[in-house]
Amino acid sequence: MNAYAPGTLDLDKLFAARLHAVRARPYLATALFALHPVESRQVPTMAVDRHWRCYVSPSFVDRTPVEELAGVWVHEVSHLLRDHHGRSDRFAREHGLTGSGERLRMNIAADCEINDDAFGDGLVHPEGAVEPEALGLPTGELMEEYLRRFRLGPNTLSLSWLDCGSGADGLGREWELGPNGAHGLSEQERDAVRFRVAQGINGRPGNAPKGWRRWAEEAFHPPLPWRELLGAAVRSAASDSGVGEDYTYGRPSRRSAGLPGVVLPSLRRRPPRVSVIIDTSGSVSDAELGSALLEVTAISRAVGGRRDLVTVLPCDASAGIVHPLCRAEGIPLMGGGGTDLRTGFAKALRASPRPDVVVVLTDGQTPWPDTRPPCRTVVGLFPRQHTLRRRPVRSWGEDEDDRYVPDSPPAWARVVDIG
Amino acid sequence: MSIGMRCAAPETPATASPTPQLDIAADLLTLLRDTTTEPRPDTQLEALTLAVAADLPVLLWGEPGIGKTAALTQLATALDLPLTTVIASVHEPSDFSGLPVIGDDPATHGVPMAPPDWAVRLVRAGRGLLFLDELSTAPPAVQAALLRLVLERRIGALQLPPGVRIVAAANPRSSAADGWELSPPLANRFVHLQWTHDHEVVVRGLGGTWPRATLPLLAPERLSEAVDFARRAVCGLLAARPKLVHQLPGNETRRGGAWPSPRSWDMTLSLIAFATAAGSSREVLSLLVRGAVGDGPGLELLASLDRMDLPDPETLLADPASAVLPQRGDLRQAVLDGVVAAVRGRPEKSRWDAAWALLVRALETGAPDLVVVPATTLAALRQENWDVPEAIEQLAGVVSLSRRADRAADRVAGRIGAGSAGGR
Repeated sequence: MNAYAPGTLDLDKLFAARLHAVRARPYLATALFALHPVESRQVPTMAVDRHWRCYVSPSFVDRTPVEELAGVWVHEVSHLLRDHHGRSDRFAREHGLTGSGERLRMNIAADCEINDDAFGDGLVHPEGAVEPEALGLPTGELMEEYLRRFRLGPNTLSLSWLDCGSGADGLGREWELGPNGAHGLSEQERDAVRFRVAQGINGRPGNAPKGWRRWAEEAFHPPLPWRELLGAAVRSAASDSGVGEDYTYGRPSRRSAGLPGVVLPSLRRRPPRVSVIIDTSGSVSDAELGSALLEVTAISRAVGGRRDLVTVLPCDASAGIVHPLCRAEGIPLMGGGGTDLRTGFAKALRASPRPDVVVVLTDGQTPWPDTRPPCRTVVGLFPRQHTLRRRPVRSWGEDEDDRYVPDSPPAWARVVDIG
Repeated sequence: MSIGMRCAAPETPATASPTPQLDIAADLLTLLRDTTTEPRPDTQLEALTLAVAADLPVLLWGEPGIGKTAALTQLATALDLPLTTVIASVHEPSDFSGLPVIGDDPATHGVPMAPPDWAVRLVRAGRGLLFLDELSTAPPAVQAALLRLVLERRIGALQLPPGVRIVAAANPRSSAADGWELSPPLANRFVHLQWTHDHEVVVRGLGGTWPRATLPLLAPERLSEAVDFARRAVCGLLAARPKLVHQLPGNETRRGGAWPSPRSWDMTLSLIAFATAAGSSREVLSLLVRGAVGDGPGLELLASLDRMDLPDPETLLADPASAVLPQRGDLRQAVLDGVVAAVRGRPEKSRWDAAWALLVRALETGAPDLVVVPATTLAALRQENWDVPEAIEQLAGVVSLSRRADRAADRVAGRIGAGSAGGR
């Protein structure tokens, strides 16, 4: 046990530090124990690869007190749990980033995401750990957000030695053991460990800080951006049977010539009519409304809608005038006070011909029609101001009724949370 | 351009019968097509093969142009089935529900619905792989007709024979212009496989070397063992987690994907049995299970499989000297916790001693910090008349490790205390 000689890796010290880390962060125990330490003289401190190996410099262990080593353990395992290598790769691909400078930037951004709430409460801040404040950045953001906020420059010069390994930034290092080396975890095993940790945190959310609770909620179901969701909802409503391109018996098929006496359907194109009801009760900002409106029109164009088939209807307690979209820039989004979207629905449905899809952009503080309108309804729900409305992110293990969301839109509408 | 020149200028004396341009082009094409293959494990193709072998409807989700058709060609070769590809978007609904054919007296004989030629050929062959490509770009009525084909295996009046296997492909919802979406009941009938391309494979393939997947072979002697394992895995999980049996997808993002129900658990059972009989890796099983019941329940099943693989605490206690503990720290810790829990459940001196022997063994073969918590708990289980076993002396290192961590914790507490005192 105590066969430690100077210059070799002091495993006892390293494991004592891990034990301290596990005691300070019991919900990370599975992940910490799943890490396999590997002695390495090429790493400046400690680093991880994507296969859950932890490379450790013997001299770093020698010169660092146990309590600081514990912090580094937690830091390194956080890179892996938060999938920083996968997210770095995706970010690099989406933004066309290449080169080790960019990867260093990803490592710094990933460190910022971890370090702003990793220490304290039984763990000390390891010397030299990057904090967002040191770079003049706000705390509590995600790696991707930090990446958009800083460039390498004089204030990151002191960080150029930083190297948390490919587990942090996705770039393979030559000193790493690679996918076929010993003691690596397969992709499925990595998922299983991350899942166990997330499950533990979700099971007893009180023990973990907010950052970890958010991670655990979203680890296997990252929330999609609202644009994508709204797009999917409008698209599917606008291309449902009866709308858009479909078969109709209204006109004989071109194949009918070959089958005299038989009525075959033919393919007809009927672009969807979309009516957008906008809640102008004042609690939603114009900028938000504008971007949501743009989104809806872009989508209806993509599904083959024509500009003249999209109408916009501002509505508070009483419905305003129906505006065709061609004048969308000049639509007065006036109003304020109470909202009653029922008048908006009534007005939109009175139009002739009737819309195929009604899209409602609202903060939800309104009475809803009692009966299902005779067309598809998509609700874009803005977060309500001044009230803490939890986004209904449900993980698959929860009951639908576990969380109470007041004033929710009726079940016949497809609801997308915006912002 | 040069071909035109030659035709336009016949008076130019041709140098000894030049090779026609198209022949040279053919040579160039031959060179371009001269590629080799190399064996390479391909988990997604292996998963697809097993799901198709298990005769479950598979839906491949993937962007156009990433090699779904190439994969299906490989699959057809592996299963020795002729491949029929039907591009859904260029057909009409009647192509799948049958084309009406007028006989002599429709009022008495009815109008028979004639199937298309490819369906007739498939039925005549009695076996084949039917690939319904581009489901998502077909109009809704065609999609509806196709789903009947996939789920009921009928085309007009024709019933597809059992030897025909069906795979469908669709573009992901976010990229599909016209919003293909499965309703939850339909989605529940499919095994959803996400089809992605491997950057390395594509680059290497364009360089002339394509992968050749070695596909799974079912081992006849493992069949009953596989069924037994699959039943234990699914029933074990569902007995402990009744909530997982049936859960309709709750929100917008997960509509149209895999979700757990008795039907999809039944599919999962088949998939586990097939993957086990083929000796497939956990990666492959993970794709299949998550494709059948969704990510959450799928991961939970896989996690419980990991625990099923762990050695039984009673076996370890019966013979601690020859115990083999898992290498991975988190699994080893789970085993040691299980052993201590077993002693707590039935506390006897001999079992307590055996557990100490196991902890010593764990210490000799792996990281010492894993042993601290089980050792502390085990020590607390001591009853008054039990003598401390000699083995405990060998755990002295664990005690010193634990104390070292204690001292670190004290220093942290002291430092934070001093810090906050200084702050005031």
